[in-house]
Amino acid sequence: MKIIFTTTGLDWDSKMDPRFGRTEYFIIFDEDKDELTSYDNTAIADVAHGAGPQTAQKMFEFKPDILITGNGPGGNAARVLQNSNITIYIGAGNMTVKEAYDAFKNGKLRIY
Amino acid sequence: MKEIVVISGKGGTGKTSITASFAFLANEDIVVADCDVDAADMHLLLQPDYEKSEDFHSGVLAEIDQDKCVKCGKCAEVCRFDAIPKTNSQYIVNPLDCEGCGYCCHICPTDAILMKEQNVGKCYISNTRMNNKMVHARLNIGAENSGKLVAKVKNEAKKLAEKYQKEFVLVDGSPGIGCPVISSLSGADLVVFVTEPTISAFHDLRRVYELVDQFKIQTVCILNKSDLNENISQEIQDFMRTNKISLLSSLPYDDSFTKAMIEGKTITEFNDDIKMLLEISWNQIKQIISKK
Repeated sequence: MKIIFTTTGLDWDSKMDPRFGRTEYFIIFDEDKDELTSYDNTAIADVAHGAGPQTAQKMFEFKPDILITGNGPGGNAARVLQNSNITIYIGAGNMTVKEAYDAFKNGKLRIY
Repeated sequence: MKEIVVISGKGGTGKTSITASFAFLANEDIVVADCDVDAADMHLLLQPDYEKSEDFHSGVLAEIDQDKCVKCGKCAEVCRFDAIPKTNSQYIVNPLDCEGCGYCCHICPTDAILMKEQNVGKCYISNTRMNNKMVHARLNIGAENSGKLVAKVKNEAKKLAEKYQKEFVLVDGSPGIGCPVISSLSGADLVVFVTEPTISAFHDLRRVYELVDQFKIQTVCILNKSDLNENISQEIQDFMRTNKISLLSSLPYDDSFTKAMIEGKTITEFNDDIKMLLEISWNQIKQIISKK
């Protein structure tokens, strides 16, 4: 299972970014390989409009099975994501990445 | 640190008056972010000192290099905003009509068109007369607000809240349901609707609720001018109940809102009855958010 997190930093102790479209970073955890990678999305701060769909497009490149974020994605991003097979979990906005992963494992996050 | 966003959908419901009142009641506990940048007016009540300012760039406009232009007119043909009129046998972009889509630049056979980044205004970090930090912005004439500018204002506010260990960022959200509102809502912990019993306010409230619901953010409501129209007031309350939005308070229509505004004061400094109601609402907001 490949899990992608919207985050404000690059490791397990980083705080989650509650935003999807304007998330600063992605952290990707591949459970099968036990491998943690990341993606710097900070350039999105320069995008005036349409951050959601643009970030969604980027995220698809990592081919995740699960997305863990804070709030739900906004309208346009949500429409794009609904057409994918990615399961979205929300409610992790105020956690660290590690806490968000544990919460997900313990069934404590809501499905969007 | 938690983020509280106040929105209304329709303008004129009292959103900024009430947000400024919360800023007054909370004083040092919060950082205020004015994301209603198109028509920013909270500074009139909070009187910030414009301590720091920074130019803000957003969006691009097309510009044609006349030396490279072969006058083929393809750019004018594809421009759906009719922003490239031919004047004195030259194609010149009218900056007021250009939307910055970049189609002309894309099809120009001689690469004569550049998309230039625009300085759209200034972003400020201030101290208000209530001693809260405030982040706000001022757009140049004709410049438009964007998700980017709202995100910038909110980010600066969050950084300040972290630096000075403030409990809350209080955001005066943008009107409507477009990009700036989406950016206002993104990352919020609690949304406060400020509405009034008029047909247009209720209509816009339902539209903006759809957006908030998509984000799955907990929402509360303040019904302002609640005695303007009993029927619509009842309809709004039914809508709140159906969608599990708790009604924090119903405020009466009161001239003192306008009088306070004219004197550059918040309503809480002007009318003790309304101050009491808003104090209760603010305490409820703090309670709800601390449980999250």
